[in-house]
Amino acid sequence: MSLSSRGTTVVNPSRGGIFRSVLVLLIVFAAIVAAFPLIWMLLSSLKTPTESMQTPPVWFPATPSLDAYRDVAAVIDASRSFWNSTVIATTTTIGILVTSLMAGYAFAKYRFKGRDLLFAAMIATMFLPPIVTLIPLYRMVSYLHFDGSLLGVIAPNLANAFGIFLMRQFIAGVPDDLIDAARVDGASELRIVFTVVAPAIVPAIAALALFAFVYQWNTYLWPLTVLQGNTSDFPIVLSLGRLLSYNRGAMNTNLVMAGATLAVLPPLVLFVFLQKFFVDSIVSAGVKG
Amino acid sequence: MKSLTKLGFAALLAATALTPMGAAAANVELTYLTHWAPDTVALLEKAAAAYSEKNPDVAISVRAVPFGDLLTTIRSGGSGGGTTIASIYDLWLPELVRDGMVAPAPEAVAGEVGSAWPAGIAAAASVNKVTYGIPNEVDLYALNYNKTMFEKAGIGAPPATWDEFEKDAAKLTDPAAGTQGFGLINSWAAGVVHPFASLLASNGGTLIADGKPQLDSPEALQTFQLYETMVKNGWSVPAMGTADANTTGPFLDNFVSGKTGMIIMANWWESALKAGLGDKFDTIGTAPIPVGPSGTESHSISYSWMTVVNAHATDAEQKAAWDFLAWLDGPDSGKNGASAMADILQSMGILPSRSSDVAAFKSALSRPFLEGYVSQLANAKAFPIVLGGQEFTESLQQTIEQLEYGQISAADAAANAQADAESILTRAAN
Amino acid sequence: MTRAQKKPVWMMLTPAVGLIGVFVVVPMLLTIWLSFQHWSTQTGFETAKFIGLRNFEDLFSRISVGRDFRGAYFNTAVYTGISVVVILPLSVLLGLLVYQRRAPGGTFLRTVLFSTYMVPMIAVALVWSKLYSPTEGPINQILSWVGISPLTWLSAPDTALISIVILNIWQQIGYFTVLAVAGLTQIPQTLYEAARVDGANPLEEFFGVTLPLLRRTLLFSAVIAVINAVQVFEPVVLITQGGPAGSTNVLTYFIRRVGIERAQGGLGSAMAVMLMLSLIVVIVAIFAFARERKEDA
Repeated sequence: MSLSSRGTTVVNPSRGGIFRSVLVLLIVFAAIVAAFPLIWMLLSSLKTPTESMQTPPVWFPATPSLDAYRDVAAVIDASRSFWNSTVIATTTTIGILVTSLMAGYAFAKYRFKGRDLLFAAMIATMFLPPIVTLIPLYRMVSYLHFDGSLLGVIAPNLANAFGIFLMRQFIAGVPDDLIDAARVDGASELRIVFTVVAPAIVPAIAALALFAFVYQWNTYLWPLTVLQGNTSDFPIVLSLGRLLSYNRGAMNTNLVMAGATLAVLPPLVLFVFLQKFFVDSIVSAGVKG
Repeated sequence: MKSLTKLGFAALLAATALTPMGAAAANVELTYLTHWAPDTVALLEKAAAAYSEKNPDVAISVRAVPFGDLLTTIRSGGSGGGTTIASIYDLWLPELVRDGMVAPAPEAVAGEVGSAWPAGIAAAASVNKVTYGIPNEVDLYALNYNKTMFEKAGIGAPPATWDEFEKDAAKLTDPAAGTQGFGLINSWAAGVVHPFASLLASNGGTLIADGKPQLDSPEALQTFQLYETMVKNGWSVPAMGTADANTTGPFLDNFVSGKTGMIIMANWWESALKAGLGDKFDTIGTAPIPVGPSGTESHSISYSWMTVVNAHATDAEQKAAWDFLAWLDGPDSGKNGASAMADILQSMGILPSRSSDVAAFKSALSRPFLEGYVSQLANAKAFPIVLGGQEFTESLQQTIEQLEYGQISAADAAANAQADAESILTRAAN
Repeated sequence: MTRAQKKPVWMMLTPAVGLIGVFVVVPMLLTIWLSFQHWSTQTGFETAKFIGLRNFEDLFSRISVGRDFRGAYFNTAVYTGISVVVILPLSVLLGLLVYQRRAPGGTFLRTVLFSTYMVPMIAVALVWSKLYSPTEGPINQILSWVGISPLTWLSAPDTALISIVILNIWQQIGYFTVLAVAGLTQIPQTLYEAARVDGANPLEEFFGVTLPLLRRTLLFSAVIAVINAVQVFEPVVLITQGGPAGSTNVLTYFIRRVGIERAQGGLGSAMAVMLMLSLIVVIVAIFAFARERKEDA
C-alpha cells in the first residue's frame, strides 16, 4: 500500500475492491465496444451468402470458409493493389521524413529573418482540409501530366506541415554542443542532419514515419480524384471501393467484409508490432508541444 | 555534395519507375472508361483484345470506377487529362458538348447512328443535330411485383390504374409482418426521379416541355399527391427504400426478401434480382406502369447510354477510337449478327438499342422478366436531355425525398420543385 | 549570421517549403481566385470569367444550390459540434481508465482503442453500413435484446447524420484517448497529494486538479477534432450520398458534387472559401476561449 509513481493512492481495501471491479467492468465494456465492429467484420467475411442474408443476423458462421477471400483477390487484383499502396505509402513517408528533418532542423537551429512567420505559415496549412484545394490541385497535377499515375498521388504528399512541426519540436531539444562539435569536425550541414541530429531523435522519427505511413495507406479522396479510374494503379482502399459493385444486396456482405479485412490488415499489423513507438511519441510530443 | 547527387539520381529513377510507361509495341493507345463491375469489364477487355489482334497497332485498356464516381471522373479529366473513350449517361452530353469535351462523330459513324438506331435514341446521342456518340444500352422502367405476395393478398392481376395501385398497396401492407405495399427509393437520384417521372408520364404529364419545367401542372400535382397518400397511409415506408453508392441496398434487399410488394425499377436490376432470389426469381412479375386519372395510356421513362470520344485526344487517337467503337457496336463483332457490345450488355441482362441487335437477341429478350419491359419500349418517353439536367434531377430528388419523409406537403412539393427547376434550367442555359 | 551559414538555410527549407508552397499554398490561392470566377471545372483556367461576388450571392440566395449549401453547412456544423462535445469528455474518461493503475487492463484497452484509428475510413464505412442495416445488422438485434425497437439509423433523415457521427467517433476515439493520456502523464503527483491532504475526494480531485491541467491537451484535441470532423467524406460518398433527404449532405461531399460533378468550379471554390473562413473563425475562437479561461484560473 505504498504510493506508486502513477495515480494510485492509499485506499481502504474493501471499498477499493468494488471500485476496482467497476473499473475492470468499464474497461472490458469499452474494449468490447471498440473491438466489436472489427470482430464482426472478420466473422462476416467467413460466412456464406445465405448466412449473410439471415434476419435476424447470425453471428458465427456455421462452417467458416475462406471463399470470400479467394473471390475478392481474384476480382480486384489484390496483390497489385497492395503493391501500389506500399509504393505510395513508402515513398511519401521517406519524402516526408527527409523534407521534415531538413526543414525542422532549419527552423529549430537556424536564426534568419522571417523564420517565425514562415513557420507559422507552414503550421497554418496544417489546418486546411484537402477538399479546399482539391479542384485546382487536380488541374495543376494534370497540367504537369502526373494525373492517372502513382506520381500524381505521391508528388503533392512528399512534404507535410505536421512533420515539420514535429521535427522542429524535437530537434529543438537536441543539444547545440553536439551539432557544433560536428561542425568543428568539418561535417556539412546536410550530413549533420542525417548523421547527428536524426539519431538523437529516433523515437520521434519512428512516430512520424508510422503516422505518415498509415495516413498515406488509408487516404482515399486524393487518389480517387487523381487516378481517374486507372485501376492498375489503385491502392487497396480504392480497389475496395470497386468491390462496391459487388455490394448487390446482403448476399455479398461476406465479399465486401473480406475486402475490408484485407485492407485493414497491414496498418493494423504494423501498429500491433510498433505501438510502443506510436504511443510513446505522442506522449512525448504532448510533453514538448 | 556526393550524397546529394546520389539522392538526385535515386529520385529520378523513382520518378521514372512511377510514371506510366508507354506500351512497347502499339502506335496508338486508347483508354476506355466505364462503370461496369469487374466481371463485365473482363468481357470488354476480351473484345478489345480481339480487336487488337486484327489491328495490332491499336492497344486498348479499360478503366473502371463505381457508378457514383463516373461523372466526377469524367469531369475532372477535362482539358488534357481523361480517357480517350468514355461511356456516358445521355443526360450528361449537353454540358460535355458545351465545354468542348467530346468530339463530333465522323460522317460515316454519324450516318450509321442515324440509320441503324431508332430515331429517339439517335437523337439522344446528338446535340443541335450533330452526333457525338454511339448509343449502346437503353433502359426503361416497369412495375415489378411479387406474385407470391399478390396471391396471398388475393390480388389477381397487377394494377392497371392508380386506383387499383393504391388499393393493392393497401392490401399488401402489413405493419406487423414488416411489409410495405409499394417501395419508394431514396438516396439515389435516378431511383427517386425516374419512377416518379414514369408515373407522371402515365398520368398524361411531363417533366419538361419546350425547355420549360411542368412540375406544378395538375398532372404533376396529382403525382406528388399519390406519393403523399402512399406514405401517409403507411403503404410505403421510406426507411425501407434507401440505396447506396452502388444503386443497391435496403430497397433491393427488402424486395428480394419479400418485404415489399411492388416497386418501380429499371430492367438492368434483373441480375441483382436473380442473384438474390436464386430459383425464386420467377415469383417476380413485371407489368406496365399504372395509368393515372389524367392519363390515357401507360408510359415508362427511358434513358440511354453512349460512348463518346475525348475531344482533347490526338487526331490519331480519335480516329482509332471511332474505328474501334464502330466495330464494337457493329454487327460483325459479336455472335449471330449481334455486336460485341450487345453481347456484353446482355450478359448483364441489359437491353441493347441498335435495331439489328434487338433482332439478333429476339428470343432472349422475350423471356418473362424482360418481356414486361420490351413491350413498353415503343411507348416509352425519353428523360429530357437539357443543359443542367443532372442538377435538375438532383434538385427534384431532394423535393421528392422531403415529401417521402413527410417534411413537406404535396402542394409545397409541386411549388418548390417548379421554382427550383425554373431557376436551374435558366441559369444552365446561360 | 555568417555568409557560410546562409546557403544551408535555403537548401534545408526549399524541399519542404517548396513542396508545400506549390501543392498546398498555390492551390489555396487558386481556390480563392476561382471563387470570384465563372468557371467550368472541365476546362482549363483560361476560360474563367470574372463575376465578382455573384457566386457568394448565390450561396446565400433562395435558389436550390444556395439552400443545399446552407443545409450542408448546417449539417457540417452540427456534425462537428457533436463530435467535439462527445470526443473531449469521452477521451478524458477513457484516458483515465487507461492511465489508472488500480485495475488491470489499461494498456490492453489503449491498444484496442488505438487500433481502430488504423482502420481505413472506407473499411469503417462499409462495415458500419452493415452493422446499421435495419434487419440484417447486429446493432438493431442487440437493441432488441434489451427491448428497444429497431432504429432507422442510416435510413431516415432524423437519424442518418448522428449514425455517421457515431462511426466517426468510434474510429477516432483511440487517438484522442492517447492524447488525453499524454496530458494526464504531465500532471505532477504532488498536486494530487496536496489536494488529498486538503481532504479532497476523487471527484474534487478531478475537477480541481486534473481538468484544469488538461486544458492544453483539450485545446489541442478540440482543434484536431474540428479539422477531422470537417473532412468527413467516405461514409457519405460510399453509403448515403448526402441522403436521405439531404440529411447527410456535408460540405466535403457537396463541394465535390457541385465543383466537380456539376463542373461548377466557381461555385465550388466559393463554398471552399466559406469553409476556410469558418474554420479560421472557429479555431481562433477555440484559442481565445482557452486563453480567457487561463486568465480566470
